[in-house]
Amino acid sequence: MPIRRLPTELINRIAAGEVVERPASAVKELVENALDAGASEVQVQADGGGLTRILVADDGGGLTADELPLAVERHATSKLAPDDAGDYDLLRIATLGFRGEALPSIGSVARLSITSRARGQADAHAIFVDGGAVGQVSPAAFPGPHGARVEVRDLFYATPARLKFMKSERSEAQAITEELKRQAMAHEAVGFALDLDGRRTLRLPAEAPGDEGRLARLGAIMGREFSDNALLIDHEREGVRLSGYAGLPTYNRGNAAHQYLFVNGRPVRDRLLQGALRGAYADFLARDRHPACALYVELDPGLVDVNVHPAKAEVRFRDPALVRGLIVGGLRHALAAAGHRASTTVAMAALGGFRAETMPPVPHRPSGGGFSAWAQGGWTPTPTAQAIPGLSEVSARAEPEPDLAGFADAPAATPAFDLVDFPLGAARAQVHETYIVAQTRDGMVIVDQHAAHERLVYERMKAEMAEGGVARQALLLPEVVELDPAEAERVAARADELAALGLVVEPFGPGAVLVREVPALLGDTDVIGLVRDIADDLSENGSALALKERLEEVCGTMACHGSVRSGRRLTAPEMNALLRQMEATPHSGQCNHGRPTYVELKLADIERLFGRR
Amino acid sequence: MKLTIERAALLRALGHVQSAVERRNTIPILSNVLLSADRDRLTFSATDLDMEIVDEAVAQVDQPGQITAPAHTLYEIVRKLPEGADVSLSFTGEDPRLTVAAGRSRFNLPVLPAGDFPVMSSEGFAGSMAVDVNDLIRLIDKTRFAISAEETRYYLNGLYLHTIIVDGQARLRAVATDGSRLALADMPAPEGAAGAPGVIVPRKTIGEARRLLEDAGETVDLQISPQKIRMELNGAALTSKVIDGNFPDYGRVIPKDNNRTVMVDAKLFAQAVDRVATISAEKSRSVRMAIESGRVVLTVRNMEAGQAVEELEIDYDGEPFELSFNARYLLDITDQISGGTAELRFGGPNDPALVLDPADADVQYILMPLRV
Repeated sequence: MPIRRLPTELINRIAAGEVVERPASAVKELVENALDAGASEVQVQADGGGLTRILVADDGGGLTADELPLAVERHATSKLAPDDAGDYDLLRIATLGFRGEALPSIGSVARLSITSRARGQADAHAIFVDGGAVGQVSPAAFPGPHGARVEVRDLFYATPARLKFMKSERSEAQAITEELKRQAMAHEAVGFALDLDGRRTLRLPAEAPGDEGRLARLGAIMGREFSDNALLIDHEREGVRLSGYAGLPTYNRGNAAHQYLFVNGRPVRDRLLQGALRGAYADFLARDRHPACALYVELDPGLVDVNVHPAKAEVRFRDPALVRGLIVGGLRHALAAAGHRASTTVAMAALGGFRAETMPPVPHRPSGGGFSAWAQGGWTPTPTAQAIPGLSEVSARAEPEPDLAGFADAPAATPAFDLVDFPLGAARAQVHETYIVAQTRDGMVIVDQHAAHERLVYERMKAEMAEGGVARQALLLPEVVELDPAEAERVAARADELAALGLVVEPFGPGAVLVREVPALLGDTDVIGLVRDIADDLSENGSALALKERLEEVCGTMACHGSVRSGRRLTAPEMNALLRQMEATPHSGQCNHGRPTYVELKLADIERLFGRR
Repeated sequence: MKLTIERAALLRALGHVQSAVERRNTIPILSNVLLSADRDRLTFSATDLDMEIVDEAVAQVDQPGQITAPAHTLYEIVRKLPEGADVSLSFTGEDPRLTVAAGRSRFNLPVLPAGDFPVMSSEGFAGSMAVDVNDLIRLIDKTRFAISAEETRYYLNGLYLHTIIVDGQARLRAVATDGSRLALADMPAPEGAAGAPGVIVPRKTIGEARRLLEDAGETVDLQISPQKIRMELNGAALTSKVIDGNFPDYGRVIPKDNNRTVMVDAKLFAQAVDRVATISAEKSRSVRMAIESGRVVLTVRNMEAGQAVEELEIDYDGEPFELSFNARYLLDITDQISGGTAELRFGGPNDPALVLDPADADVQYILMPLRV
C-alpha cells in the first residue's frame, strides 16, 4: 500500500482517541477551558452518562465571533503566546490547557456547539461542528453578560468503535462526578454545579480563596470527617510550595482512593505521591491502611513538564527528589506537630457506642469517691512540665475556661499545681486493668495503657537507632542476589543510603548485587527476599522503604514485648507518669498500627450523652 | 495383633521413634506410629516423610499383626503408667480400636490401617562404615550450633558431612554455617568412608541422630547415598533424606593469614562476654573488643541500658586493635572449646576471625565481625 497523507478530519478523530477517551475526559477538557477563561462559576450538565449530552457553561471571558472558528480548529489556542522574539515556550505553561486540541477533537467525534458572549461585547455568537464539519458562525442568544456555553451531543457517534467500549451510563456519570470533584478541589474559589440527567447532584458554592476556603471545599467533597481530622500542610523549599491538608493517621482508609495531588492547580496521578505518603506515614499506619489527603504543589511552571500525557493526568518534575522530599518532610512536620492528637472520629465512634439504655440500678458505692481519695495526694506529682514543642495547639484547648472553673475544683485538691491542666489530665482510675481514665480541665481521657506504652518504647528505640547507627553483621558467605539489570542498577545506586541502614551491597556484574553485610538487628534473615523487596520499592516508590520498615517492624515487636501489658495493675503515680510521658513524646496519639492510644471525651459530649444539652 | 510388653522397653522404643512425628499433620497417618508384632519382637516405625526412625523391643507376641496408632498419645500414656508394669496391646476384630491395658488402666485408641503407612526405602546405599559413637557425637556437638535456621538458604539448614584428604590422610568432616559464622570438626575417616558422597544432613535429622546416639553402643553403622543417609545402632535405625543442594565452598572462607594471635582463658572470656552482654538489650548484642598487649577490654554501650566494661588478661603481644562481635556468636563458639584456652586469630578489622582449640586440633571456628 502506498503511503498517503491522512485527511484532517481523520487526524482529529485519531487525536480524539487520545484526548477524549470517555465523556469524563471531555468534561475535564471543557471545565479546564472554563477555568482558564477565568470563570467564577462553572455549571456542568450531563445526560445519559455524558454520551447523550454534555453542557459546560461558564461566566469566563468568552469568545468573540472571530475567535469561534479558530477555537474549533486544531492547534489553535489562546493559551500560548509568543515571546518578544516570536518563540513559543512549552516549558513555561501556566494554563491548564495549551495544546489546542480539545475542541477540535471533541468536534470531530460529536455534535459540538459553542455559544459565547465575549467580555464587553453586546452580541453573542454560536458555532456548530458536526462530526468534524465546521459550520458558519451565527448570531445567537446568550443568557449571561459574558462567558461561554459548550454543548456536546452524541459523543462518539462518529466513532462507533469507541462507543462500543463505553461502560454503563452509570459508571460514566460516576467518572464525570469524580472528574468534576477533582477540578473543584483544585479551585476552591470557583463555584461548581453538576446536573446528571436533569437532577442536581453536586453543588459547591465558591469559597473564599485561601486555606479556610479550601478546607471547606475539601470537607464538602471528601466528607466532614476529613475536614475535622485534617492537618494543615504548608511548606516551602527552594521555590516549591506544598500546601493542602492531610488526614490524621487515626483517620485512615482501606484504600488509596482518597489521596489527591494537584500540581499548579492541575489534578494529577503520580506514583511519587503514593511513595511519599507511605514514607511519611510509615510509622503510624499498618501497611494495608492508607491516609487521606489533598496536597497542592505549586512551583515554577518551568520546573515541571505537563506535556507528557495527552490527558495531562501525569506530569514530570525536573527534580522529583525535591518534590518527594518536600511532601515527606511537610507531612512529617505536620504529623509531629499534631503530636498526640487522635482523630475525633475515634471519640465520635466511642460516643456512638454508648447507649442511653435504662439499666438496672447499680448498687451505689458507699465510698465518697474512692478515686478522689487517690487523687488527693499520697504521691508527689512528677513535674515533667517542660514546654512541649508542637503541643501548644492542643494544650490551648485544655486551658481552663472560666465557666468551667466550678467543675475543676471537684475532686482534685490542688497540690503544687494542677495535674488537670495537663493535656492528658490527671489519672483518676484504671479500669479492667487495661485502661486509664484521666480527667482533664474540660473532659476526660481514656488511655489504652499497652498501646500507649508500646508507642513510647518504640519512639525511644527509634531515637536510639537514629543516634547510635545500625550495627551490621558482616557475612562470611556474601549473598549474590539475582535481579533484572535495571533493578540491580537501581539498588547499587542507593548503596550509600542502604549502608546507613546496615545493608552493604555492591554491584555484581549485570543483573546481580552482592550483599556483604546485613543489619545485625534482623538476625538470621532472608537476605534475598529483603533485597528483592527493596528493588521493588525502588522502582515503585523511588525509595528503599522496605528495609526501614523491616527494621522498624523488629523495633515494633521488641517494643511490644518491652512494654506494660494489658492486665497489669498500675498505681496512680505510674499512671500519671505514663500520661506525662505521652505528652512529651511525639506521635504518642496512635500506636504503631495507627490505632489510637487514647480517646478524649469532651465534657460537652458527655453532657450531650445525658441529654443535658 | 495381641502382645504383652514390659513398660520400660515400650517407653524406650516409643521415645526413640515418636520425636520423628510432627505435632501437627495434614496427613493423619503421619501422626501415627506403625506397630508390627512378629515372633518375639515388636517393631516401631515413625516418619515425617523426610525421615524415618525404626526401633524394636522384645515382646511376648500372642498373635502377630500390624496396626498404626497415634504416636504422641501412646507415648504419653506409656510414660504415665507405673514403673515395671506389663502393658498389653491388642487390636482384634472385635474392637476397631487399639486397646492398651496395664494394671487397672485401659485405653482405646483410634487406629489407621498399617497398609497405608508410608515406608521409606532403605535401598541404594553402596556400602557402610562403622563409626565410633563418641567420635560421631563429637562431630555433631562441635558444629550443630552453627546450622542456619533461615530457610531461603536451604542448603545451609544442615550439617555438611563429607570425607576429605588432609595432609595425605582421609578425614570425615562435619561443617555447619549460617552465613556469618562457621564451625568445622574432623575425625579420622573410618573404614569404608572413602568414596562416600558428601551430604547435607538436615537439622532435624541431626537432632534425632544425636538423641539416638545417647542410647547407642560403641559403634554405629553409617550408610550414605547421594539422596539419603542411614544410621543403624543397637537395633534402631534412622533413615533420612539429605538436603538436595550444594554446600558452599567453605575452604575459601577459612582465613589463612590471620597473624594476630590472642590466647585467652576460654571460661573467663565466656563469662566476661556474658556479663557485659547483659547491657545490650537489642538483638544485635554487639560487644566491642579492644585488644592490646596483654589485655582485652570488652565494652557494650547501650543508650538506654547503660554501659558495661570488663577487662581480661590475654596472651598477646603486638599492635593494639579493636573490633566488634555478636555476643551470642562469641559465646556459642567459646562453649565448644574443650581445653582451658581459646586461640583467637585475627586479621584486619573486616576480616573473619579464626577461633581454634589448642586442646583439639581437629576443630576450627570462623566468625565475622560486626560493623558499627
